[in-house]
Amino acid sequence: MMRSQRRANRAIFLAVAAGFVMLAVAAAAVVWAFQRAQDYSELVAHTIEVEAAVADLNRLNERIETARRGYLLEGDPRFLDTFEATAAEIPGQIQRIAELTADNPEQVKRITDFRGLTDQYLGLMRESIADKQAGGSGVKGASLLDEEDIQVVQRLRDLADEMSLEERRLLIARESDEKRSVYLSTVIAVAAAVTLILVALGTIWATRRTLRALASTGQQLQNLNEDLESAVLERTAELQRANAEIQRFAYIVSHDLRSPLVNVMGFTAELDAAIKPLGELIDKAEEAAPEIVTDETRYAVREDLPEAIGFIRTSTEKMDRLINAILRLSREGRRVLAPEAVDMNALVSSIVDSLQHRIDELGITVEAEPVPTVVTDRLAVEQVLSNLVENAIKYLKPGRPGRITVRGRKNAGRVLIEVEDNGRGIDPKDHERIFDLFRRSGTQDQPGEGIGLAHVRALAYRLGGTISCESALDEGATFRLSLPTALAPQQGSNT
Amino acid sequence: MSAHQTVNIVMIEDDEGHARLIEKNIRRAGVNNPIRHFMEGTAAIQYLFDAPDGPAKNGPALVLLDLNLPDMSGIDILQKMKAQGSALRRTPVVVLTTTDDKVEIERCYDLGANVYITKPVNYETFAQAIRQLGLFLSVIQVPEPELD
Repeated sequence: MMRSQRRANRAIFLAVAAGFVMLAVAAAAVVWAFQRAQDYSELVAHTIEVEAAVADLNRLNERIETARRGYLLEGDPRFLDTFEATAAEIPGQIQRIAELTADNPEQVKRITDFRGLTDQYLGLMRESIADKQAGGSGVKGASLLDEEDIQVVQRLRDLADEMSLEERRLLIARESDEKRSVYLSTVIAVAAAVTLILVALGTIWATRRTLRALASTGQQLQNLNEDLESAVLERTAELQRANAEIQRFAYIVSHDLRSPLVNVMGFTAELDAAIKPLGELIDKAEEAAPEIVTDETRYAVREDLPEAIGFIRTSTEKMDRLINAILRLSREGRRVLAPEAVDMNALVSSIVDSLQHRIDELGITVEAEPVPTVVTDRLAVEQVLSNLVENAIKYLKPGRPGRITVRGRKNAGRVLIEVEDNGRGIDPKDHERIFDLFRRSGTQDQPGEGIGLAHVRALAYRLGGTISCESALDEGATFRLSLPTALAPQQGSNT
Repeated sequence: MSAHQTVNIVMIEDDEGHARLIEKNIRRAGVNNPIRHFMEGTAAIQYLFDAPDGPAKNGPALVLLDLNLPDMSGIDILQKMKAQGSALRRTPVVVLTTTDDKVEIERCYDLGANVYITKPVNYETFAQAIRQLGLFLSVIQVPEPELD
């Protein structure tokens, strides 16, 4: 599914890129077509200009002919003025056409012919004028129509027509070229536009599909999230139920265990009490009739019975302490926590004060560094800390002056409280074990049942915290309690 | 009634060993009152309220009550005895049990228990407590039941 999604994404990307390329092509085609159109209008203007110039030249030729004829007919010198003025204009006009058509070799050739013919024509006309001035008729033949210059004029006109025609022909050829290129660019633009529209439609469709997929994914995610939350709630409720069950179980079991223990202890005491009269009996018997007292009886009454009773008693006492510990733990687990802002500095100093007697006795230095205030259950946190400090005092290294440091700091929404000592330390393999109920570590030279740290850990967990140990043998130990800065208030009691 | 009647001790205790130890120590304290022992609640209630020689019909009594009984909780018996209009409303009840739960103790006193004693596992303490209870029994005045 992921791969097809990725392929679809790549296709969409390519389509969008292609769309932009099409857009660029269409724009280029339009620009090109526009330029072609501009070129074309320039060419048209050029042709018109050339034609106009040719027409002007024709007009000048007509005018000069008219002036000469007028002079030949009437001999009025004013015609000569017109003749000369027009003759002076003609070379300029020819030059102008030559410049306009300089790019066309055929036209250049024609204009050269034209120029030659014009010179010839002007020469012929001047001859006839000179003839008239000299008193002749100015006409060589019988009529003006027979004059050589008529042919010249005819050729001039033909040349002018040719030049005009040539320009027209060029224009038409160029026009068809133009039309073809404009048509081509239009086709390109239209094709690009169509492609663009298709790509746009495709992209819109793909985008909508993606958006819809995204929305449904979001919805799914939200559903999953809600499911997860309710699953967590359900699981939490289950755990709480299981926990309450265990607490109740521990309570009932330990409670019911006490009943038979009362009997064991009680009847042991009765037995113990019975030893006394028995002993007296043995004494008396030894006095009165020593032969009936065997060594076996004597040992049984004086050694075996007291020894057995002693073992039963210490064992039951120990069992009682263990049961009491379980009872206390289960009771602690059922107590409703009451979070409040606890001034940890005051709490630490009150713990130290309560242990001051032993601290002085053992010559221990206690340093209480500042600890941030925590919103938590006062009683529980006090039990935890006082247990840790008591342990630090209890398990010092003989011969090394004791030093205990309590410090705290805030760390990412939690408060870390450390109790550090320079005592006998704990073997790293026991770091987990010491928190288990009835488990202890190191030399068993101190009284205790292995309950304190189990209790500490149970309390730390209940406060939403953790407890860990960092230590090596003979190098002291650091117990680190991590508590949430604020414990959420609990609802109701589960007792 | 002017004649001084013997106070019967009614012991409701499901553990025979406990019962025996309690009895022994009471006797050691010099208390010679008759002791009736019941091991379950139903029989005890029947004796307390209905038996012709029971406390409700006949003479004063003192009840030693354990809370953990096989067929009911001792609290039920206490409640029944201390209920409004009960003939045994004034009969002293000594709750003698292994529970030292604060809530439980408070509840018993609220229901009208006269004394609450936790059975200590340490036998010396236990024996002493029972003997003291015996001394207490030998001096207290127990009211007559309200006969109807």
